Amino acid sequence: MSERIDPRLMREGRRARGALYGSIALGLVSAWAVIGQAVILARLVEAISFRHILLPPLMPLIAGLAALFLLRAGLSHAAEALASRACLAIKSGLRAALLARLFARGPAAEAASAETAATLLDGVEALDPYFSRYLPQMALCVAVPLAILAVVLPLDWISFTVLLLAGPLIPFFMVLVGYRAEAANQRQWDKLLRLGAHFLDVLQGLTTLKLFGRARDEIRIIARISDEYRRTTMEGLRIAFLTSAVLEFFASLAIALVAVLFGARLIHGHFGFYPAFLVLLLAPEYFVPLRGLAVHYHARMSTIAAARQIFAVLDAPAPPRGTAELAAAAGIEIVCAQLSFAYEGRKVLEDVSAKFPAGKLTVIVGASGAGKTTLARLLLGFLRPTAGHILVNGQDLAEIAPESWWRALAWVPQTPRLFPGSVEENIALGLPQVDFARLRAAATRAQAYNFIEALPGRFATPVGEGGGNFSGGEIQRLALARAYARHARVLIMDEATASLDPQTEAAVLDALTALNEGCTTIIIAHRLAVAERADQILVLEAGRLMQSGTHAELLAVAGPYRELARAGEAANV
Amino acid sequence: MSDIWRLVRLLAPRRGWMLAGLGLATLTVLANFGLLAISGWFLAATALAGLAGYAAQNAFNFFTPSAMVRFFATLRVGSRYAERLVTHEATFRLLADLRVWFYTRLEPLAPAALQAERAADLLGRIVSDIDTLNLFYLRVFVPVLTAFAAGLVMAAFFAFFSWPAALALILGLALNGMLTPLLTARLGARPGAEINRLTARLRAEYVEALQGLGELLVFGAAPQMQARAAALNDELAAAQARMGWVAGLGLALSGLAANVTLLAVLLCGARRFEEGGIGAANVPMLVLGAMAAFEATAPLPGALQYLGQIKAAARRIFALADTPPPVAPPALPAPEPRGYGLELNAVTLRYAPGAPPALNGLSLSVPEGRRLGIAGASGAGKSTLINLILRFHEFQEGTARFGGHDLRAYGSADIARHVTVISQRSHIFHTTIRDNLLLANARADEAALWHALEVAQLAGFVRSLPQGLDSLAGEGGARLSGGQARRVALARAVLKPAPWLILDEPTEGLDYETERAFLRDLLPVLAGRTVLYISHRPAGLALMDEVYTLRDGRATRRR
Repeated sequence: MSERIDPRLMREGRRARGALYGSIALGLVSAWAVIGQAVILARLVEAISFRHILLPPLMPLIAGLAALFLLRAGLSHAAEALASRACLAIKSGLRAALLARLFARGPAAEAASAETAATLLDGVEALDPYFSRYLPQMALCVAVPLAILAVVLPLDWISFTVLLLAGPLIPFFMVLVGYRAEAANQRQWDKLLRLGAHFLDVLQGLTTLKLFGRARDEIRIIARISDEYRRTTMEGLRIAFLTSAVLEFFASLAIALVAVLFGARLIHGHFGFYPAFLVLLLAPEYFVPLRGLAVHYHARMSTIAAARQIFAVLDAPAPPRGTAELAAAAGIEIVCAQLSFAYEGRKVLEDVSAKFPAGKLTVIVGASGAGKTTLARLLLGFLRPTAGHILVNGQDLAEIAPESWWRALAWVPQTPRLFPGSVEENIALGLPQVDFARLRAAATRAQAYNFIEALPGRFATPVGEGGGNFSGGEIQRLALARAYARHARVLIMDEATASLDPQTEAAVLDALTALNEGCTTIIIAHRLAVAERADQILVLEAGRLMQSGTHAELLAVAGPYRELARAGEAANV
Repeated sequence: MSDIWRLVRLLAPRRGWMLAGLGLATLTVLANFGLLAISGWFLAATALAGLAGYAAQNAFNFFTPSAMVRFFATLRVGSRYAERLVTHEATFRLLADLRVWFYTRLEPLAPAALQAERAADLLGRIVSDIDTLNLFYLRVFVPVLTAFAAGLVMAAFFAFFSWPAALALILGLALNGMLTPLLTARLGARPGAEINRLTARLRAEYVEALQGLGELLVFGAAPQMQARAAALNDELAAAQARMGWVAGLGLALSGLAANVTLLAVLLCGARRFEEGGIGAANVPMLVLGAMAAFEATAPLPGALQYLGQIKAAARRIFALADTPPPVAPPALPAPEPRGYGLELNAVTLRYAPGAPPALNGLSLSVPEGRRLGIAGASGAGKSTLINLILRFHEFQEGTARFGGHDLRAYGSADIARHVTVISQRSHIFHTTIRDNLLLANARADEAALWHALEVAQLAGFVRSLPQGLDSLAGEGGARLSGGQARRVALARAVLKPAPWLILDEPTEGLDYETERAFLRDLLPVLAGRTVLYISHRPAGLALMDEVYTLRDGRATRRR
C-alpha cells in the first residue's frame, strides 16, 4: 500500500495556503527570536560571571531579553491561532462535497452509515493536524536547524560538525527506519485498548452467560486474554520504542559531546566562554523541532488513512441519471419488461415481466431472498436493471430524472427513519408549506393520530435521536402518515406492517385499501393478511416471477402461493 | 475528586509497576536537567581555569565533571527507553485489572442494569469508559507526579545555591504547568463544550441522513438536510477557531512563564554571585538548569484535558458499579426443588418504586411437564414474566413458588441450573461454533456436539464450513443468518438438558418459511420438558397445550 499523501489532498490544501504560509513565517520569525534570545542570554552570563559587571549597567540587555520574550509569546499565540484556522475551509469544503456525492450516488450502495458518518466527521477532522501541525513543523524542521547551524559555523566549526552530523541522522533513523514501525505498533496498541472487542462481546453476552451459569468462569478468560494481548503487543513495542531511544541518543550525545569538546579547549584558554556558552544554549534548541516532528509524524499516518477513506467515497461512481420529466397524467401505470438484476455476478432478479395497473393494489410475496426488496428498489429508481426496462406510463424509467419520478412517489421502507425535528416536521418531510389539516388527516389514516395526541407535546413533540422515544410500530405508522401526506400517485411499501400487532395491522390495512384515491400501490408483504385485499398478487421465488393473480385465483391452483397460504393457516391459532 | 481517589485505590495492587514507571519518568527528566546544568557549570569552570593560568589548569579535575556529563547523557537514553516499556507494561496490566473488576461488579447486575433503551450504546460506552479510565495512569498519574517529584528535586538543587532562585523555579513551574493550563481549560470550556455538542449533533445529522438517504431523496428533503449540515459545520468551524485562539493563548502564556523564570533565575543567581555566595560557574549552571526544568511540566496541559475525560468516565462507571443488584441474593443456599411446577398467585412487579406495574396481579400455574403459550402485544408484560422467573427482577406483591419453594429462595444462578432459554437475544459469541456450543455444557464431547447440531438441523451447514466446528461465528454472530443463530440457541438447549425450557420470541424477525422449519426442528427438543413459549406470532403457540394472553400485566386463558 502506498504511503504517500494523495496529491488531490495537496490540491485541497491550496485553499489553506495563506494561513499555512502565515504560520510557517511566524514560526521562522520565532526561531530567529530564539537565537536572539540565546545571544543576549550568553552575553549577560558572560558579563556577570566573567567580567563581574553589576546588574544596573546590564539593564538595557535585560530589557531587550524581556522584549524578546514578549515577542515570542505574541508570535506563538498568532501561529497557533492561525494554524487552527488553516484547515477550516478545507474541512467545510470536503464535507459538503462528500455529502453531495453520497446523495448523488443514492442508496444503491448500502454502506454502514456509522462508518460513513465517521469518515465525514472524524476522517475529515483527521486532516487538520496534518495541515495545521505537520506541514508547518516540517518547514521548521528544516529552517530552524539551518538557522542555528548558520550561527554556530562562524563561532566553532567543531560543534558545527557535531550538530551537522547528529541532526540528519535523527530523521534518518526515526522516520526511515523506525517510525513507520512505531506508528503502526502504536496504532495497534490504541486499537487493542480502544476496541476491547472481546470485552464488549462478553458484556453483550452477559445475560446468555448467566443463563448457562458460566458468567463467573468468564473472569478468568478476560484476565487470560488481556494477558496474551499484553505479551504479544509488548514484544512489538520493545523494538518500536528503540526509535524514541534513537532521538534521545543523538540529542543527548550531541549536547554531551559539544560540552566535553568545549571543556577540553576552554581549559587551555584556547577559546572564549561567550561563544562556547552560546553554542551550548543553542544545542537543545537545535533538536526541538525534530522532537516536534516525532510527535506529529503519526498525524501524517492518520491523514493518509483518512484521505484514503475520503477519496474512496468521492471516487465511487454515481449511477447514470435520466433527464426527462415524468409526463403529467392522472394515474400511473408501471410495466416491468423482462427485468433482470444481478449484484456482483449473482442474479437477484431474472426476466420478471409484470404490470402494476394504475390505481390498483399489487402485493408482492415470496420467501426472504426471493428478490422482493430488489424489485422495490428498482421501481424506486435506486438501482438500475442489468437487463430489461421499467416503463412508467410508457416512458422508460431510466430516462426520467430521478427527482421528477420521486415527486410522484411515496415510499415506506422496511425500517423507516425519523429525522431530528418534531413529529409534525417528520410527517411533513419534503413538504415545507403544507397545511396542518392535511397532516392530521394523514396521521389519522395511518392509525397514528391517537398516539400522537397522547404525546406530551402532541404534534410538536421532538423526535429523539434515531426515533429513540418511539416504538417500532409507532415509527412505522409515522412513516405511513408521512407517505399519505404526500398525496402521491404511486405508493411503495416494503414489509410495512412487520412490527405491528394484529389489531393495528388490520386497521392500517383497512385504511390503506378504503381510501386508495387512484394511487398505484405496491406492497411487499411479509404475511398474507394484506395479500387477501390485493387487486393483484405477484409471487416471487428465487428471483423469478412464479405466479400472479388474485388471492382467490391463486388459492384455486396448486403452486407456491397455496403452499404459503396453507402454512399460514396451520399456524393460525 | 473522590472518584479519582477511588480509581487510584482500585489500581493500588499494581503499585510496584506504577511506581517503577513513575520513578523512571522522573529519572528521565532529571537526567536531562543534570546533563544541561553540569554542562553549563563545566563550560564556565573550565573557562575560568583556562583564564587562571597553568597552576589552576593542572589543579582542575577535568575527569569527574566530564564523566558526569557522559553519565547523564547515557542515563537519559536508557531511562527514556525503560520508562516507555515499563509505563506501557503497567498500562496493560491495569487494563486487565480494571476489566476484571468491572465485570465482577457488573455480573450480578445483568441484565437489569443493561436493559436501558439503547443497550448497544450503553455497552459501547462502558467499554470506551473503561479504556478512558485506563489512560489515567499513563496520561495523568505519571506526568503529574513526575512534574511534582522532578520539580521538587530540581528546586532543592537550586536551593543549595540560591533560595530565591529555587522559589522562582517552583513558581515558574506552577505557572507553566498548572495555572496556565487551568486558565486555558477555563477559557476553553465554553468553546470545548460547544465543539462537543456540535460534533455530536453533526454526527447524528450525518447518520440520520445516511440511514434515511433513500427517504430524503424520494421525499425531496435532501437539499434542506445538506443546508442544515452546512450550517452546523459553519458553527463548528467558528467554535474551533475560538478554541484555537484559546490554545494559542495558553501556549504563549506558558512559554512566557518559562522564559520569565529563566530571567528571574539569572537575576537571583547574579545577585547571589555579587554577594559572594556562589562561584562564577554556578550562574550559567542555574541558567541552563532552568531551561531544562520545564520539560517536567510540558505534558501537564494534556494531563489536565485527560483528567476531565477520566473524571466523567469514572463517574459513569462507578455509578453503574454501585447500583444495588435488583434481586438480593438469597441468604441461604437454594433448596433442591421438589418437582418443577411454577405457581404464580396475584404477582405484581414494578421496575422501580412508583413506576406503573409491569405485572399486575398475575396468576398463572405451570404444572411440571406442561407446555404453556403466552401471547400478547408488545408492552403487555411478556419479557417481565421472563425476568420474574429467571430472578432478574424482584416482585413486590403476591406469591410465587417454583419446585414447591418460595421463588425468593433462589438466586438467578440457581434458577439458571433448571432453565434453558432460547431467545432472539441469545448471544452468539465472537468465537468458534464449538465454543458457542460448549457454553451450554462444558463437558459435552464431540459426538454430543454433533448430535445437538443434527437436532438443530445445523450439522449440514457446519460440515460445509472449511473449518467445521472450529469456524468463527463472527462478531455478534454476523456470519450466521438470523435463522442459523436461532438454531445455535436450539443446539445449546439440546446440550443443556434442563427440565424447563423458556422460548422468548424465538422466531421474531424470521420470515415465514424459516419460522416453519425452525418450529419443526424444535418439536423433539420440547419432549419431556416443561415449556413456556412466549410470542405474538401464532405458529409456535400452536404447539402448546394451553395458551394465555397477557394484557396489562394480567393473564387470561385463551385456549
